[in-house]
Amino acid sequence: MCDRAAAREVRFSRSIYRLETIKKAAYRLTDRCSFEFTVDEDHIHCYLFSRDQTSVRADDELEHALRNEVLDQDLRESIALETGPIRNAILAYAFSRTGLQDAEPI
Amino acid sequence: MPSPFKTPAEYETPLALGYRLLPFNFTKLGGSDYVLTNQAGEYVVVDRSVLEQFVTHRLPPDSDAYQAFKSKHFLLDRDSDVAIDLLTLKVRTKLAPLANFTGLHIFVATLRCDHSCPYCQVSRQSDDNVAFDMPLETAEKALEFTFRSPNPAIKIEFQGGEPLLNFDLIRYVVERAEQINRTERRSLQFVIATNLALATDEILAYCKAHDILISTSLDGPRDLHNTNRPRPDRDSYERTINGIARARAILGRDRVSALMTTTRASLSRVRDIIDEYIRQGFSGIFLRPLQPYGFAVKTKSYHSYDVDEWLKFYFEGLEYILSLNREGLFFAEHYAAVILSKMLTPFEPGYVDLRSPAGIGIGAIVYNYDGNVYASDESRMLAEMGDTTFRLGNVHRDTWQDIFTSDALLDPLEETYTGSVPMCAECAFEPFCGADPVFHHATQGDLVGHKPTSVFCRRNMAIFRHLIRLLDRDAETKRILMSWVTS
Amino acid sequence: MLTLAGESLRFCNIDDRRRFVIRLSSSPTLPKPLRESTAYLSKAPHDTLPPDFPLYVLVGDAQAAEKLIGDRRAVILPEAYAYLGSGDILRITPHRCAVRVLYRRASPNNSILLTERCNHYCLMCSQPPKAADDSWLVDEVLQTIPLIDPETRELGFTGGEPTLLGADLMRILTACKNWLPRTAVHVLSNGRRFADRAFVQAYAAVDHPDLMVGIPVYSDLSTIHDYVVQADGAFDETLRGILNLKRLGQRVEIRVVLHKQTYTRLPYLAEFIARNLCFVDHVALMGLELTGFARANLDALWIDPHDYQGELYEAVSHLAVRRIRVSIYNHQLCVLDPRLWPYARKSISDWKNEYLEECKGCLRRQECGGFFSSAKLRYSSHIKAFV
Repeated sequence: MCDRAAAREVRFSRSIYRLETIKKAAYRLTDRCSFEFTVDEDHIHCYLFSRDQTSVRADDELEHALRNEVLDQDLRESIALETGPIRNAILAYAFSRTGLQDAEPI
Repeated sequence: MPSPFKTPAEYETPLALGYRLLPFNFTKLGGSDYVLTNQAGEYVVVDRSVLEQFVTHRLPPDSDAYQAFKSKHFLLDRDSDVAIDLLTLKVRTKLAPLANFTGLHIFVATLRCDHSCPYCQVSRQSDDNVAFDMPLETAEKALEFTFRSPNPAIKIEFQGGEPLLNFDLIRYVVERAEQINRTERRSLQFVIATNLALATDEILAYCKAHDILISTSLDGPRDLHNTNRPRPDRDSYERTINGIARARAILGRDRVSALMTTTRASLSRVRDIIDEYIRQGFSGIFLRPLQPYGFAVKTKSYHSYDVDEWLKFYFEGLEYILSLNREGLFFAEHYAAVILSKMLTPFEPGYVDLRSPAGIGIGAIVYNYDGNVYASDESRMLAEMGDTTFRLGNVHRDTWQDIFTSDALLDPLEETYTGSVPMCAECAFEPFCGADPVFHHATQGDLVGHKPTSVFCRRNMAIFRHLIRLLDRDAETKRILMSWVTS
Repeated sequence: MLTLAGESLRFCNIDDRRRFVIRLSSSPTLPKPLRESTAYLSKAPHDTLPPDFPLYVLVGDAQAAEKLIGDRRAVILPEAYAYLGSGDILRITPHRCAVRVLYRRASPNNSILLTERCNHYCLMCSQPPKAADDSWLVDEVLQTIPLIDPETRELGFTGGEPTLLGADLMRILTACKNWLPRTAVHVLSNGRRFADRAFVQAYAAVDHPDLMVGIPVYSDLSTIHDYVVQADGAFDETLRGILNLKRLGQRVEIRVVLHKQTYTRLPYLAEFIARNLCFVDHVALMGLELTGFARANLDALWIDPHDYQGELYEAVSHLAVRRIRVSIYNHQLCVLDPRLWPYARKSISDWKNEYLEECKGCLRRQECGGFFSSAKLRYSSHIKAFV
């Protein structure tokens, strides 16, 4: 168990972001550091750890990268929400056996 | 008098009613550029601000971005929905080869070899130990398995060691396969992967008679080739060149192809290697990375350079090849060509290492000299090092159904499908990429792999980004790259 | 430009009230049984007329012709019709003393009009639509087909919109299959009706040995295509029609007329075709013909072809590198980017094909397709003879 005091803390508001979103974003950066999460009523707390803890503290770059990844991940979720049904419909049509399609719109 | 013709504006009114998003993924390309891809692998590059506008339904219909998104099927507006029909057709086209099942059947004729290459991905046994030859009974069983695949096109490839050391086996398989094929009526093709050192005129004449293709190894100019591929007489290069010339003379120019393998020694010599291929009259090259299997791992030659060094080698090679094309010589880089065909056409090029679901078993299968069946060539190499994770069974013990419904095959296929694993599922490059469970198991101890630290991921993403930038550089570069696709 | 039709011509002894079609022969020794259904063709200087033909067509030297006719049923045509020959087919309309040449055996470009009705109203339409019921054309075509020389290489069907004929189109195509089994048939259509499953299946069921339908697609964007053809929903239906045709193994050509409204996105259209319709059998990129509606809309349409060579080269490159067969029609070699010459075809129908003053002494005249007769209205300022 790493010493949280030595880690860099990044906070996200729970009224804006879901924990799932934060975790997915963090996963992409796990080549550069490791993460721990806690949740309270208003915030999701992200703790960034690396082997050399001083380098994490000094690294604005990593926090910057995490925040940007979270924004991107959030955008991805909007897209997935809107396009999920049609993505499945296209796959279903692609695998279907019928030669001629009906001209009905989706 | 009012004109009987309506204005363009009258046809644009439905656009004001807004648009719906069609499914797509996005990934950062570099700087503030993002690349978006749809299920058919079509792509658009935009600034992040435009991406945000697009997703939040604020993109104006008269903007260049809107028109690109509409044309390439990233959105649907009230004016047109035929995008659905077209997308479906493209996705179906990409997925269609899956139904054909295994097309490449690799027969390991023998493990014996007359070379001793340090990077060799099979155990080498000395020349005269016939216990490592595939017996005819095993070949017969393997042929049964081969024709169980429904694929209308079957390719049988002989590998080794050096397969020509067991030429009787090759003869047997070829003639039996032809006999079986008289009723099966598949499109049947044979390939021998050989160093050609032992290719007598008689052997070549046989290849000609049965339309067998030759695939040989040419690592570069003489000094590089001989360093990579030691032979007792240190004459591997001479024998290879001589073999290529003789094979071409008897079989025909385009019946002989060459593959190179990259080692530490190759990294600073990409131009020399390409020049050697041009000198030998090849119209393209496959700039391969070093794989972490077999002797490569034992002799530590996998860890001796990292991905970034190889990428530098690859990009320099690509640049050189582009300049050659600009000067009028047609010369392709085959790995780029595979990726480009996924990026620019709705067709699946069928390259086993870049497929999702993975190409193991369902794309290619290996019948080892001892009857053991492996999910891929790399799986066999892992087994030679003691890891039998991807050994699917044995032709003498198991039925075809046993093997193709085994957990050893189905679990990796299912678990590594890129459409549902972390990061890959949301990656813009997913339509161009593939699952490689064997590689990830060998390098990370995990079938799916940890993509942020995966060498496979890092290498391929760098190549995808680079090719997208190249396609955008100028019309001539784009035309050259496209010409590699349909060649 | 050939005169293919005329009215108020000199008709002698013809009392028929209905129009009819008839095939010409200039052979005085034509066997008697065949004479019953053939018109004798005589060109000045006229010789004695052989007996037993139901109709005589005399071209030129009207004075001499009048003297020879006697009480025979005859039509006297001016010298402009001297191109006529054996095997040609005419429509005779007695109440207007009119003649129209429907088919010329010596011509490589025979095109038969199936209807003038159309469900589009293209800005550049060279055959502006008419709403009147002209279904009598169907019967006439069915009568004409058996008269056509079976060695005819290719036959075109145009309109208007041929698919508006419905089942009659299939009757006509079947007649071609039966009477002209060695003749390639090329139908021009906006393709929309093929989105109808029953219709496309009936079309495929004809099983013609050499049939292709040429379908225009003017843009990769629906709004632009619909604007050019002046019909909402055209783009979607046309593409669905093309997909259906291809699902049933029918041959499809995509046609693009190049003008101010279509040239800017031409490279994107080429990419669109390469990605979505790469299975089409041919793509024809066509120069504008300044006749019909094209004249009325000249300002919206005219661009000097010289000015879109960049877009044209990019589009052709893109299609060619994807191994899609592509041709350029109706462009002159002096105006085309030289790298595009291998794709240029001599495509203008012989009867409306001409050259300009600027073409005098041009070394490439033989290979060049020349101009539409209507080009005199407006043409590129870069026309120059090769010397």
